[in-house]
Amino acid sequence: MSNILKVQNLHQWFGNNHVLCDINFQIPQGQFVALVGGSGCGKSTLLKAILGTNPPKKGNICIGDLPVTGPNRNVGIVYQAYGLYRFLTAEQLVAFGPKLDQTTMFQRLFMPWFWRPLRKKHLEEARKLLIKFRLEKALSQYPKNLSGGMRQRVAIAQALIMQPKILLLDEPFGALDEATREELQDMLLALREENRQAERVGALPPWTVLIVTHELNEAFYVADRVIGLGRNWKDGNLLGEISGATILWDKPAPVCNAGEPRNYELFKEMRNELRQAVIDDNVPIIDRQMHVDQPPPKPDPPKIVVVREDRTKEKS
Amino acid sequence: MRIKQPISDKTRIALGILGVFMLLVIYSFLSYQQRSKNPNDTTMPNLLQIGHGFKEACTPDLPDPTLQEAFGLEVEKPTLRKKITSTWLYQDLSITCQRLFFGLWWGCMFAIILGLFMGCYKWLAAIFAPSLSFMAQIPATAMLAVFLVLVAKILQWQGEWVYTFMIGFGVLPTLTQSIFIAARDDLHEEEISKAYTLGASNGEVIGNVVLPQILPKILDSIRLQIGPALVYLVAAEYSLAQVGMGYQIRMQTRMLHMAIVYDYLIVLGILGLLMNKSLIWYRKWQCPWY
Repeated sequence: MSNILKVQNLHQWFGNNHVLCDINFQIPQGQFVALVGGSGCGKSTLLKAILGTNPPKKGNICIGDLPVTGPNRNVGIVYQAYGLYRFLTAEQLVAFGPKLDQTTMFQRLFMPWFWRPLRKKHLEEARKLLIKFRLEKALSQYPKNLSGGMRQRVAIAQALIMQPKILLLDEPFGALDEATREELQDMLLALREENRQAERVGALPPWTVLIVTHELNEAFYVADRVIGLGRNWKDGNLLGEISGATILWDKPAPVCNAGEPRNYELFKEMRNELRQAVIDDNVPIIDRQMHVDQPPPKPDPPKIVVVREDRTKEKS
Repeated sequence: MRIKQPISDKTRIALGILGVFMLLVIYSFLSYQQRSKNPNDTTMPNLLQIGHGFKEACTPDLPDPTLQEAFGLEVEKPTLRKKITSTWLYQDLSITCQRLFFGLWWGCMFAIILGLFMGCYKWLAAIFAPSLSFMAQIPATAMLAVFLVLVAKILQWQGEWVYTFMIGFGVLPTLTQSIFIAARDDLHEEEISKAYTLGASNGEVIGNVVLPQILPKILDSIRLQIGPALVYLVAAEYSLAQVGMGYQIRMQTRMLHMAIVYDYLIVLGILGLLMNKSLIWYRKWQCPWY
């Protein structure tokens, strides 16, 4: 399976504050990865570097084969605070991406014969996606009239309609109540199930996700693989407290399915181990490589040629 | 009654009418006092005299037919349009509205473009923000002489452009500043980043994200500039014009025809209120989400 995201020798610092140190990992297409760590350990900084809003001081990040130079349509983002535009209704919000991606301002202003049919198509696609996310009653509602869970579902739909190469979720369910959070976690598992179905028929899995969370249960529940960042390490003369956080944990997560009863006992031991490795400050400093265990490589998929719809903008 | 306790619509309307009524009563009392000291006083006319003044302002200013006959000229019966357009009030109000519209239009256009780009590009804000802050502190009316020199002598603009420039230049600093602050602070970094991930170009971020998001704030800022724009216009007409509300107020004040002056002030107030309400309706229509 080809790697969608490659992070190599990434270092990030702000003045004298070293936040990240020598981060290296890859995410293959179709994998759901959870990035966990204690507060202020640099999870969001790493996510911003991958998004392209805060480029790293040192190191490389590639999405596909292209180095990241700024936020672009290959990367989808969902924030904890939703980041929905207040002036658009739910269906307009979801259709907003295709509108910006597939047409130019000139076409929208001066070529109505081109723009109107496309607009209808975008709105239709947006409606279908929102209905799939059980938001049929919210189609013409503005974000201020939606609940937190509904807003987050709209935000996820807004990102998914772009079919990004990788979807980044920055603490997406942090502001939601327990029931809504579980509902949205199941929504992510449904996407993971779509990946499995695609793999079963020999197609490329459509969704690759990197989710930043501080909820360890959530990380083990929704992800295929959990990466833990922490400062609790030493490597020769280097100390995490000074040099910044690095990857102290990288292991596959237990497989869970949407709708099935949640068996937290299943990952209790792993969770405790992970907590000790990356979150607890009062445990002895550990050797950097001790808990890093690269996930077992998946078997090579059958060689098939997939023609991906070209959504690059036709600027006139 | 506790602070911010809501009131019904009926109560609100009744209290509004009461406020206007109180204003009329206070004015009538002061007018009565003034006239009891001097019955010929015209500085504070009573409501009846203000009504007569309004009638005078709305009387067609047409050539005397008897004079025309005396000189052997053909006397034409004036049309309704001719009657209306020849009244002082129509002539002054129409030219004042025209000047106000053009001045506000150009002032708003420049302010919106400059403020929007300043809010989006920090280097533009660094160039313009200090000088705009400085200019916003100087009352435009105090700069009237400078405007005249600049517009009439240096730029050699004549006629209506003087008023357009006066209003536009008067509202520009404050309006630009408020639009700049809205564009800078009303959109989170996250919303901008997300627009790029949805495939937006820089122009689309400004036109399709920043502008619609701050449109209600822009309309509110323009609303707040209607009053100052009227001040700049009336001040300019007071000094320069041969026709217009400001000119007529100056002439009637000189002749102590204060009834007409009060009428003109009422008309100016109604004009400002109508513009204000129109912008509120437009905002409600365009920004139902606000």
